[in-house]
Amino acid sequence: MITRINVGPIHPGTHGVLRLLVDVDGDTIKKVEPHIGFLHRGVEKLVENRMYLQNPVYMEKLDYIAPLAFDELYVSAVEAAMGIPVKERAQYIRLIQLELQRIASHLLWLGTLANDVGQLFTIFMWAFSDRDKVLRLLEESAGTRMFYVNQRMGGLIRDQPPDFAEHAAPLLDYLDQRIAQFQEVLEKNPIFTERMKGVGVLNREDAIRFGVTGPTLRGSGVDYDTRSNQPYYVYKKLNFSPQTRGEGDAFARYKVRMLEMKESIKLVRNALKSMPEGDALGMQIRLINPVPKNRVVTVSRETPRGEGMMYMVADPQRPYRLSIRSPSFINLSVLNHIAKGHRFADLFAILASLDPVMADVDR
Amino acid sequence: MLTGNPLDMLGQALQSGNLTTSVIAVIAYAILIAIIIGVFDYLFGWFERKVIARVQLRHGPTYVGKYGILQNLADLIKLLAKENVIPANADRIFFMTMMPSLLALSIFIVFLIPFSPTLQATNLGLGVLVIFTLLSFAPSMIFLAGHSTGNKFADISAQRSVIMLISYELPLILVLVAVAVMANGFNLSNIVNAQSPWYFIILMPLGFVIFFITMLAEMERPPFDIREADSELIAGWFTDYSSPYYALGLFLDYTRMLLGSLLISVIFLGGWLGPAILPPVAWLLIKAVVVAFFIVIVRVTTVRMRLNNLLRFGWIYLLPLSLINLVITYIVFIKGP
Amino acid sequence: MKIDRANLASAIEEGMAQGFDYLVKITAVDNIASLQVLYFVRNIAQNKDELLEVDIPYSDAWVPTVTKYYAAADWYEREMAEMFGVDIRGRHVRRLLLEKWDGVEAPLRKSFGWGSPTYKSEE
Repeated sequence: MITRINVGPIHPGTHGVLRLLVDVDGDTIKKVEPHIGFLHRGVEKLVENRMYLQNPVYMEKLDYIAPLAFDELYVSAVEAAMGIPVKERAQYIRLIQLELQRIASHLLWLGTLANDVGQLFTIFMWAFSDRDKVLRLLEESAGTRMFYVNQRMGGLIRDQPPDFAEHAAPLLDYLDQRIAQFQEVLEKNPIFTERMKGVGVLNREDAIRFGVTGPTLRGSGVDYDTRSNQPYYVYKKLNFSPQTRGEGDAFARYKVRMLEMKESIKLVRNALKSMPEGDALGMQIRLINPVPKNRVVTVSRETPRGEGMMYMVADPQRPYRLSIRSPSFINLSVLNHIAKGHRFADLFAILASLDPVMADVDR
Repeated sequence: MLTGNPLDMLGQALQSGNLTTSVIAVIAYAILIAIIIGVFDYLFGWFERKVIARVQLRHGPTYVGKYGILQNLADLIKLLAKENVIPANADRIFFMTMMPSLLALSIFIVFLIPFSPTLQATNLGLGVLVIFTLLSFAPSMIFLAGHSTGNKFADISAQRSVIMLISYELPLILVLVAVAVMANGFNLSNIVNAQSPWYFIILMPLGFVIFFITMLAEMERPPFDIREADSELIAGWFTDYSSPYYALGLFLDYTRMLLGSLLISVIFLGGWLGPAILPPVAWLLIKAVVVAFFIVIVRVTTVRMRLNNLLRFGWIYLLPLSLINLVITYIVFIKGP
Repeated sequence: MKIDRANLASAIEEGMAQGFDYLVKITAVDNIASLQVLYFVRNIAQNKDELLEVDIPYSDAWVPTVTKYYAAADWYEREMAEMFGVDIRGRHVRRLLLEKWDGVEAPLRKSFGWGSPTYKSEE
C-alpha cells in the first residue's frame, strides 16, 4: 500500500521552506516530488529594474548561508561587463573572504547534517560556535557578520586591517583541530557511518546526466571544480587541488565537504603568506563607468554549494537580463533519483548531504 | 510495635502480615511512590535540560527560579493552559485513553520495584518476569496511541514501534534468564541479595552492556528514539497530542526513564546495597540518578539508529551475545567452583 | 553558436557525440523582437563550454524538449516554461515548477512589470 506523506515545509528536517511529497510503501520510498517556490522573490526580475550598484544586496540574499559567494559572483559579472580588472591585493582578499565563507557555510551544513541523522543539536551547537568564530574573523575583514556588501567593481570597499593575519593564524590552527574532532566524533561512530555509507548513491554517469555540481558532483568522482577548471583570482598560484571521492554516496559527499574545509584552511594560510602590499579599494561609486549596450558576459564561480553561474546581458545603467544558475536548484532536482528505494529515515540523510538552500533554489 | 523513622515504620507495616495494617501501609506506600515519581520526573526534566545544555555550550534554563529549576513548572502551566485539540479523524476513545493508561502502566511498574528490604509493595516470586511482561505491553499501546491519531507520521511511528519490539525483546529476556541463573530465581529481592559481595555488573559485564542497550531501546532513549525521531517524524506517535496529553507524554517519558534507571540499578548495580551511612532507599535512588546521567550523556553524543539497522543489530549481535552471556554464566558460576 | 529551432535536436546530438554531456543551464532572454532560448552545455572531460542560442518568435513560442539527452533539463525547462511562457514540446511532466501563483503569466518577459504597456497597478 502506498502512502503519500507531506514532508515540510514547516518541520521535518526541512531546509528552509522545502516541501516534499513522498510516496512510501511501508518504510520504503517510492517517489519523492519536491515542491519548491515558497521563497520565490523574483530576483531575476528585480535586478532588471535596479542600477548595478543596488543589486549586490539582492544577490546576498540568494544564498543566505554563504552570502559573499553570490555577492562576489555578481560583482565579477559586472566587472567583466565593464571591463574593469581586479587589483591584485583585492584578489587575495576576496579569495580569503570566499574561502572563510566556504568554511562557515560547510560548518553550518555539518550541524544540520548531524541534526538530520538524529544527533539533535550537539554537533549543531559546536559547529555553530565555530562558525561564529569564522564569522567574527570575516567581520574583521569585511565589516559585517552576515550580509557583507563589501565588494566593489575592481576591488573592495575597504582594505583588510593590518593585523588581520595575526588574528587569522590562531583561528585557522583551531579550526584544523576542530575539524579533526568533528570527524572523530562522527566517523568513529558506527551508527553514523552505517547511516551514511551506501545511501543515496549517485554514480558518475548519472551525476553528469543530472548536471549536479559542487561537492555532490565531486562526491561522485567527477573531478570538476570551477576553481581549478576555470581558474579565477589566484587559486592556481596557491596550489589549489580539488577534493574528489568516488563512491557517490552520502558519506562521500560528507567527506568531500570535510576535505574542502581543510583545503580552504590551507588556501587561506597560503594567501595570507603571499599577499602583496598595495591598494585593494574598488572604484568610487560616481566613477563607475556605464556598460556598453548589449555586452553579454558569462561568469562562473565555485560557491560552497557548487558552481554558480551568472549570464548577464548588460544595459548602460542596469542589467537587461541576469540569469542565475543556482547550484542548490540543480542539486535538489536529483533527489528523487537517489532517494528512491531507500528507507524513509534515509531521505533526511540524503537531503542533508545535498545541502540545498531554499532561497537559492527559488530565487 | 512500629519503631524507628517513618520510612522504617512504613516498611515494617508493609511486612507486618496484619490485613488492616498492610492495606493502610500499601496506600501510604503508593502515595510515597507517587511523590518520588513526581519529584524525580520533575528533577530529571530539569537535569536533562541542564546537562544537554552544558554539553552543547549553552546555559539551559536560567530565568525561572534559581538555576531555572522552575522552568519545567512554567512549561507545564503553559501546556495545561492551551487548548486540547483532538483531530477530526482521530479515534477518540483510543486517543483519550492510551496516553493516561501508558502512564498508569509505567507508574504501576515502578510501584512493583522493591526500594529497600522492607519498602516493597509485594514480594512476587516471579517479580522480574511480571515487570517485563507489563513493560512489553507498552509498544503495543504506543502502536494504538499513534495509530488512533490518524496522523501519517504517527502511523509510521506506530509501525516502527512494533518492529522495534521484535528486535530487542529477545536479548533482553535472555539476559534476564542469565540473571535468574545467578540469583537462583526471578524474585527481585533475591536478585539484589545475590549481589551482596559483587554486583552483577562485575560478574556479568557483557550481560550489563546488552541490558543497558536494550533498556535504552525499551525507554525510547537515543540512539533508539526511532519512533519519536524528531528530525523525521516531528514527534512520532505523539505528534497530534496537544496540551494536557502532551504534558502527560513528557511525564511518561521521564517516568520511563526513572523506571529504566531503577531497573538497571536493581538488577545490575546492587539495588539498595551500600554502606550503612545512608538508608538503603537512598542508595537505590542515587544509583538511579547516576544511570540516568549516563543515559543523558548517550543521548547527547550519538546519532539515531535506522530501523532496519536496529533489527539487524538486535538479531545479529545482541541475540548471539546474550546467548554467549547465558552460557558463560552457566559454566562459570553454576558448573564452576 | 546560433542555431535554428528545427536543428536543435540534431545539434545537441552532435554535441553529445563530441562529449558535451553536461548541461549547465537552460534559460531565455526576452529581446522584445523575439525570445532567445539559451543552452549552456559543457564537455567535462576536455573542460570546454559551448552556448547554443535558439531564436524563437513570440507568436509561436515553443522549443522541443532536450530531457532525452540531459536529465538536468527537466527542472530548467519547467522553470523556463513558467517564467517565459515558452511551450516545451515532447515532455512527459507538464507540471510547472513554481505553480504559477496569482495567475501571473510569463513574469520574466519584458511585457510584465513596471513600465510595460500591459502593466496594471493594484487598484
